[in-house]
Amino acid sequence: MEMVKITLFALALVASSAWGKDFSLTIGNPVAVALADGVVKKKDAGMAVRVENCADVANAHVTATAEGIVNGARRSVPVRLVPATTPGAFAVSHDWPLEGAWVVHLTGHCGASTASAVVPFGPVGFLRESSKFFPRAATAAEVEAVLKTLTGGAQ
Amino acid sequence: MKMPDEKPPLGPFEPGQLPLVKAPDAIWRSIEAALDAKPEPRRTSLFAAWQWAAASVLVIGAVSWYATRPAAPAWQVSRLEGSAAVDKIKVGDWLQTDGNSRARITVGDIGVVDVEPNTRIRLVAASRTEHRLTLARGEISATVSAPPRLFLVDTPASTAVDLGCAYKIKTDESGDGILRVTSGWVSLEWKGRESLVPAGANCRTRPGTGPGTPYFDDAPEALQQALAAFDFGKGGEESLGTVLSQARVRDTLSLWHVLSRVEPRDRVRVVDRMVELVPLPAGVAREKALQLDPATLKSWREELAWKW
Repeated sequence: MEMVKITLFALALVASSAWGKDFSLTIGNPVAVALADGVVKKKDAGMAVRVENCADVANAHVTATAEGIVNGARRSVPVRLVPATTPGAFAVSHDWPLEGAWVVHLTGHCGASTASAVVPFGPVGFLRESSKFFPRAATAAEVEAVLKTLTGGAQ
Repeated sequence: MKMPDEKPPLGPFEPGQLPLVKAPDAIWRSIEAALDAKPEPRRTSLFAAWQWAAASVLVIGAVSWYATRPAAPAWQVSRLEGSAAVDKIKVGDWLQTDGNSRARITVGDIGVVDVEPNTRIRLVAASRTEHRLTLARGEISATVSAPPRLFLVDTPASTAVDLGCAYKIKTDESGDGILRVTSGWVSLEWKGRESLVPAGANCRTRPGTGPGTPYFDDAPEALQQALAAFDFGKGGEESLGTVLSQARVRDTLSLWHVLSRVEPRDRVRVVDRMVELVPLPAGVAREKALQLDPATLKSWREELAWKW
């Protein structure tokens, strides 16, 4: 009987891990999201972001800030997220200056779950391969670490 | 009045010497009839006054309209470099820059077009529903904020349709061209052939073929060359093989376009390679993709865009 209970418990664990995928964020080209007519045009969007594995997509919430270094000075700029026509997807408005080195720090919330991403930007757009994703809120140190990859550590 | 059967008397007459003649009864009857008839309405004078009033209003209105009518559509042209010979371009006008000049055209209230040296461009339409240029040769950069499909640029090999974007487009003397999109995306269209080019991607054009297959800036050189051979050089099996083998995840942009342009027997190879790079998304059926079902391809493209 004890073996049966252990077996059943193990099976339940396996099942829950297979079905219960972690809440996360996905980033993409701005053309990946369709915006309502009259909303900020795609050419003003730096990238797109959407929530993944969220049971309540309609109430998912994402915030963003741009963290950068301009002429040696550290700066932080709030970034607008424009809801796309698909729930849980957003266009990230390019609200930070063109000069300097910048990363965009995204934090998503789905119920009690939190996920984040730190996305560096280069001259032609976001750098997917250098982006970091976390199944929780990113720490300040983690954001600075990605920013340093753009500046080579210089400030 | 002289009676018809009598000769008039000759010479002057003294008063009292004029003969008396009885008037015929018909005269009295006609006089009585005239007295009994209703008076004629004074139509002639009243109608004329109305006409004159209406005509006056029309003339005044026409003169006012002519004096205050809006000028023919024209876009402002400002000098960026070199000599400035033109400050406005009207529909039908050509603008040509020399080797040392650059100009900026303000496109209505939706954006700007920068005209590079040695460029010849014409304003074709400037209306509420269409802003259109023809690029005969040279290079322009367009930055537009407008509803999709309001701003268009014709070249010898394609029409660039703005979908909310910023881009550069170049055409040489032979009509060969290349488009590079820096923001948003552009549809390149020619005789039913369409290429959707997103930010960070390029697309070549050639007269007689139209738009080629879009590719990203950082696509492998071998992939870019194979696409050129596939699109314009009848590259066939060899070029397709190189395209498939060199493609990375974000080159599914190119593969998505190639899928509709290969022979039916080769579609399976393209789909297989795309699925190998990016698993088929939920809701996209493989069989329908092989049949080039438009709704399926659209859904697949929208999902793939998250990888571009």
